[in-house]
Amino acid sequence: MLKFARNKVVSAARKDRDTLSIHGILDDDIYGLEVDLCVGIKDLQILSIAGKWNRHTTPECPSAIPYLQEVRGFHIDEEIGSKLNKIVGRKGCRHFANILNECCYAAAEAAKVVRWEDAKAARPDLSFEGFLKEEAAGGAQVGDSWPPSDQAGNASPSPPPPHVEVPREERHGSNPFPARPEPSSNGFVIDLHVHTFPASPCSSASADSLIEEARRIGLNGICLTDHNHVWTPEKVEELRQRHGFPIFRGNEITTDQGDMLVFGLERDVRGIIKLQDLRREVLAAGGFLIVAHPFRGFLTFSGEQLGLTPEKAARRPLFQFVDAVEVLNGKVTAKENGFASSVAASLGLPATGGSDAHEVSEVGTYATRFFGEIRTEAELMRALKSKEYVPVAFRRETGVPARENRPAEVQAS
Amino acid sequence: MSDNILKFSMNRCLSVERLDEDTLRSVCRLRDTFTSASVEILAGLPDLEIIGASGEFHHEWQKVPELDDILRKLPGVRIGAGMLKIIKGLVGEEDHLRQLTYMVEECCQGVILSLTKDILVQAPVSEEGKLEFFSKMVRDSIRLYNRCAAFAPGSRLVEGIDPNQ
Repeated sequence: MLKFARNKVVSAARKDRDTLSIHGILDDDIYGLEVDLCVGIKDLQILSIAGKWNRHTTPECPSAIPYLQEVRGFHIDEEIGSKLNKIVGRKGCRHFANILNECCYAAAEAAKVVRWEDAKAARPDLSFEGFLKEEAAGGAQVGDSWPPSDQAGNASPSPPPPHVEVPREERHGSNPFPARPEPSSNGFVIDLHVHTFPASPCSSASADSLIEEARRIGLNGICLTDHNHVWTPEKVEELRQRHGFPIFRGNEITTDQGDMLVFGLERDVRGIIKLQDLRREVLAAGGFLIVAHPFRGFLTFSGEQLGLTPEKAARRPLFQFVDAVEVLNGKVTAKENGFASSVAASLGLPATGGSDAHEVSEVGTYATRFFGEIRTEAELMRALKSKEYVPVAFRRETGVPARENRPAEVQAS
Repeated sequence: MSDNILKFSMNRCLSVERLDEDTLRSVCRLRDTFTSASVEILAGLPDLEIIGASGEFHHEWQKVPELDDILRKLPGVRIGAGMLKIIKGLVGEEDHLRQLTYMVEECCQGVILSLTKDILVQAPVSEEGKLEFFSKMVRDSIRLYNRCAAFAPGSRLVEGIDPNQ
């Protein structure tokens, strides 16, 4: 018996010499909706749009309809998927964005057919494939790439900056901080999970502003763990010197098993790597691997609805390949953090905390308390491997209020 | 030439069924003017992890590499937050692979929607009951806050909800 079914039908006709008319229907067990678009044939610009609900869930779903008008004027190109998902999906409704994506696909394909038909008027023997080859030889056409690169609305990741190889002896260890923060009686607290802009395009906080805030709230150090980005020792040293504050380098690497915080690996990992392969590399480099937010979003369905227990979750293969578990992460729910904590405890794996800050006000939400001073990356590595640390809810524990984000700092590079 | 004849048409069908106590099967089929394709994934419960993937793909002029080689990268990926980046990275984002990637994503979305349906069938019929039901849904899963117009600030469904608490 079917548990769920979704049917989408899209058709494209030529409305007049310059315009395509696209009709899309999405009908599934939960939602029913329709859209009509007019799209310019020459430039694949969305000229008009109308949409309606046939069935929806919440009493507020109709408020999504006006946001459809925001796509008027968009061109159907490689970026259209991201735009639709950000504008229609996030502000309106992702199911409208979904059928609009399909309509854009149909419009781009229909435009090829129309252009071929027009070309055939002068050259009746021109085959469709021959026409496409000629078009390709003449350069890429607008709308040739579909589906768009992102169904969910996240911008395609920018290529990381070039990696500069550094002699191994310079990588760790020889840089005492100009002004040493002393470990307090409460230990040496480092936020092990921080994202900076522009290294992480999803972050809105510059490294400078994050460091200033970390100092302000009393952290003893932060670790820059940008997505698939390798900070050079020179750049981090420059930041250390400028701020007189302990700054360490890490990396958040996306694997087939989710995100991993990696320390001590210099390689610029691109794309998605298998966790086993990453583990092999980290071991070879003498590094350390922490699974980040291991149960982010897990409990939406898998918890009460599907009966996932910490005991069952602990059997997930990924835990064989990690050195520690991030059990306090600022981007997941308290329940998910608690679940991660139970799993780490049952496996006997060390537990860490990190804010996963993408904004200045988030740094230090969670952090990791070490029991001795840490001044160099080599000392951080030794401390991580010692397993002698605990995750802490730093801001809550210290009662430091969040600082208002100052607009001038946001997006600063 | 008649202007009533379609220049392009497309049907995409997604279906999810429970194979057994521990497995969901999600199948996405596409038939359009140029493409005939299907992708099937098996999702293990309760982890919602992809445990199998297969498919076929025919296109009028694009050549697609051996599907088995691509789809065998998927087992182990969890269906849920962060999956789209992983799927794109594993399947590929080149032009000739985008449709395939999209169909894998659709299969995964189908699994999520099938589980969402299990929750939504419990929604009351009355307007007042619905407001209360969906408001509680946001409180229980705060990631929904501001994810769409219905759950955006100003909506009756998120009145009194502070996403930072």
